[in-house]
Amino acid sequence: MSNIDLNLSVGGPQGGGIDTSSNMISRAFASSGYNVLGVREFHSNIKGRHSYVHLRIKQERPRSLKYPLDFLVALDPDTIFEHLDDVSTGSTVIYDKNDESSELSQARMIMRDTFKRINSTLQENGFELNVKGALELMKKRGARIVGIPFSKVVEGVELDGPATRYANVLGASLTLSIIGLDRKFTKGSLKHIFGSKEKVIELNGKVVDAAYDYCSENKLSGKTLADKDAPPRMLLTGNDAAALGKIMGGLRFQTYYPITPASDESAILEEHEHIKWLSSENEMLTKGGITVVQTEDELSAITMAEGAALTGARTATATSGPGFSLMAEAISFAGIDEIPVVITLYQRGGPSTGLPTRNGQADLMFALNTGHGEFPKMVMSSGDVEECIYDSMSALNYAQRYQLPVIHLIDKNLANTSDFVPKIDTRLVKVDHALKTEHRDDFKRYTLNTDNGISPMGYFGKDIFWMTGDEHDELGHVTEDPVIRDQMMVKRFRKLQLAAEEIPDSEKVLVYGKKDAKITFITWGSQKGVVLDVIEALKARGIEANLLYLRMFEPFPSKFVQDFLSKAGTVIDVESNMTGQAAKVIRMNTGIEITNFILKYNGRHITEDELVSATKEIVGKKNKTVVLENGA
Amino acid sequence: MAHNFRSDVAIDWCPGCGDFGIVTGLTQALSELNYGPNDVVAVSGIGCSGKTPHYLNIAGVHTLHGRSIPYATGVKLANPRLKVIVTSGDGDMLSIGAGHFVAEGRRNTGLTIILYDNEVYGLTKGQAAPTMALGERTKGLSKPNIYGKVNPITLALSSGYSFVARGFSFDTKHLKDLVKKALVHEGSSFIDVLQPCPTYNNINTMEWYKSRVYKIDDEKGWDPVVLPDTPAQKVNEKFNNAYSRGLEWEDKIPIGVFFDNRAIPSFVKRIAENVPDYLTNPPSDQIVAGPDGFTNVDPFKTFADRVI
Repeated sequence: MSNIDLNLSVGGPQGGGIDTSSNMISRAFASSGYNVLGVREFHSNIKGRHSYVHLRIKQERPRSLKYPLDFLVALDPDTIFEHLDDVSTGSTVIYDKNDESSELSQARMIMRDTFKRINSTLQENGFELNVKGALELMKKRGARIVGIPFSKVVEGVELDGPATRYANVLGASLTLSIIGLDRKFTKGSLKHIFGSKEKVIELNGKVVDAAYDYCSENKLSGKTLADKDAPPRMLLTGNDAAALGKIMGGLRFQTYYPITPASDESAILEEHEHIKWLSSENEMLTKGGITVVQTEDELSAITMAEGAALTGARTATATSGPGFSLMAEAISFAGIDEIPVVITLYQRGGPSTGLPTRNGQADLMFALNTGHGEFPKMVMSSGDVEECIYDSMSALNYAQRYQLPVIHLIDKNLANTSDFVPKIDTRLVKVDHALKTEHRDDFKRYTLNTDNGISPMGYFGKDIFWMTGDEHDELGHVTEDPVIRDQMMVKRFRKLQLAAEEIPDSEKVLVYGKKDAKITFITWGSQKGVVLDVIEALKARGIEANLLYLRMFEPFPSKFVQDFLSKAGTVIDVESNMTGQAAKVIRMNTGIEITNFILKYNGRHITEDELVSATKEIVGKKNKTVVLENGA
Repeated sequence: MAHNFRSDVAIDWCPGCGDFGIVTGLTQALSELNYGPNDVVAVSGIGCSGKTPHYLNIAGVHTLHGRSIPYATGVKLANPRLKVIVTSGDGDMLSIGAGHFVAEGRRNTGLTIILYDNEVYGLTKGQAAPTMALGERTKGLSKPNIYGKVNPITLALSSGYSFVARGFSFDTKHLKDLVKKALVHEGSSFIDVLQPCPTYNNINTMEWYKSRVYKIDDEKGWDPVVLPDTPAQKVNEKFNNAYSRGLEWEDKIPIGVFFDNRAIPSFVKRIAENVPDYLTNPPSDQIVAGPDGFTNVDPFKTFADRVI
């Protein structure tokens, strides 16, 4: 059983250490040479509500997640209820036997509407309204039910505090033992997670031993999985990757106002405010760090970042939809004043606060149209953890090179996806600087004497120049002169034209699969991975499909997309929004109308199985639009 | 030769506007402190006051309505060597920008903030600004002001500004001295400048102020300075004195330095404690790539805790 492909969910109460369970499983598998992809799903709640992580473990790098689950690990009764529909034949459900008598009516942390749905599912199938009933239903659906008395497993183990505190580590250890991962990897994962906290590692190590011993005594242990050779890798989330890319890309000033799921990125940058450099040859390089400022609001975050950019520092801010709305005016200011600034926009479910902790891809049109008036900006998007690193570097570069605001779209799904990145090529993206002035006395920041629209950049502290949100002359002073106005508008937009010419199509759009395939998927953002997996799944069934994967929306690769789509077969647009925004952008830029849609806007990640069946519906002409509904 | 801090842009403020006195006091202070042209940056918001940077021969940004403070903070934090002056009106700073004004008090970044206080929104035809008293009716208003008044001095004190002063734009010499003190102050400094609007405020006129302002600095025993070794009780006393003088209005209006706390570390200093070499190699000056143009960051070393 060396070529495993396992889909696994660990669920429990928010604040119950799901991250630790997930990390233990991911790291244990990683150190034995496997790859793990994981997505974290949680409520906008601090403690108590249902949260879970969905992991997929394979030898090759997994790109998507799939239902039904191979393993459901329930650290509390709510998990059994919430994931009732995620198991099937072949699933194993691991749970605390002590939870068996829990009544559905006691599960107060389940959302009212979800509660009603679970209630009627159990009732309609004729099962008791409690964990036992739910487990019986799962069993009827083909699942293998493994009840383990958690407290009994750790009986006699001297712990610091009640056994329930260790439920997350215990649950993960039991699972790893049942799957068949060697104990040394599970124990080793503790060192990664708890670092220098020797005592904590020791206590949790005892829990791991107790779990493994229990499984072996009760003949639950799985057949030992073979170790695989793997080079050192990094376990990164999308948030981590964006932060790392920014550090590598020369970011030295980051502002933010707390908002999910963007703040994690700034917290990571803050942890790394003192940069550990590659080279110690140059003394200058060993000094310095990143200044991270938590501002009073998003209006301050964007404007403070712009102020810092005017000194020559490479700056960025990170936010989500509601915060981005507040930044619109200042993005327009960066447009007229040609300020290099990056806005990393973590999309989540809207409108308004919408689904604050859930996925969404509905801010594309807003990002493209943000700010009043017309001005050049760039809008780019990342689709996986690795891309996030390089794209964050490129975003800083483009901001510098073209002196404009760059909006980098990441979605919540990607932000909270953890993936292994085997190697990072530090020479893949060069660190680009702005065209600098020679510090002349008669410096014209907005000189019209330029063919490509790029005027030399001036910096406060080194050059004297002015800026205003009003239309300005070459020096930066206010003007309403009609001729200068026209010239400035043309000059600014010339930069976007330059970006369109200079940036290769491969950075804007990619095609995966055979060019002449019968089906063409279009997608962007975190759906990239799942679509690629679906293409393989379809291939196994003899259906050839390819993917047009969009990475840059402004400047948009119009000609490439037009050429490609005009020869494509059945075109299906896959997005996490209700209105097919990327398809609208394609129509805007190419005139091509897309008529088939697979959309998901319930805030949860798209899984391979649901995308396969939706594709079948569309190809079978049963539907032109399929809305996906999976998720707990 | 000293730098000429006045730019050659023609000033388009109304004749008799109090803003002229502020620009004069400001440019004189910069000259007397012997600053170079690249030592100082001016940041403004929107409104009549917003035009100030264009009239100064130093780098300047005329930013968005209400956002002068965060822009200025960005400039200062990215290059703490710079003296950053904020010139903003009462509406700009205390209405749309009020959140930033309070936040800046908490930060105490090291900005010099000059409030152009004339109680009206001049550039949009005289609407009541947050510093206008309830029930007051200037000539631009069809009805008496329906809002209560914000007191910039006590608000600044409450927010944590470490240097709080008030000037009068028709006493340029006194104002210049205040600006000089504010500029050399390490933390954030705030100067409320009484600056009559001759076009829309027919109540709080130059004459109205002239007959009321008096200088607290001239008073015997007035000492607003807090030093690192000042005992806590004494600090409270000085703060309370500043606060109660800040409440004076109508018949007698104090100008001068209300509070000058040199014991509170600036935000710049607080950051320097967290980020090594921040002061000697701030964000604006850092080399971000190796000689070959590629990043000089080793990702695996940087994120060592995430390597497996």
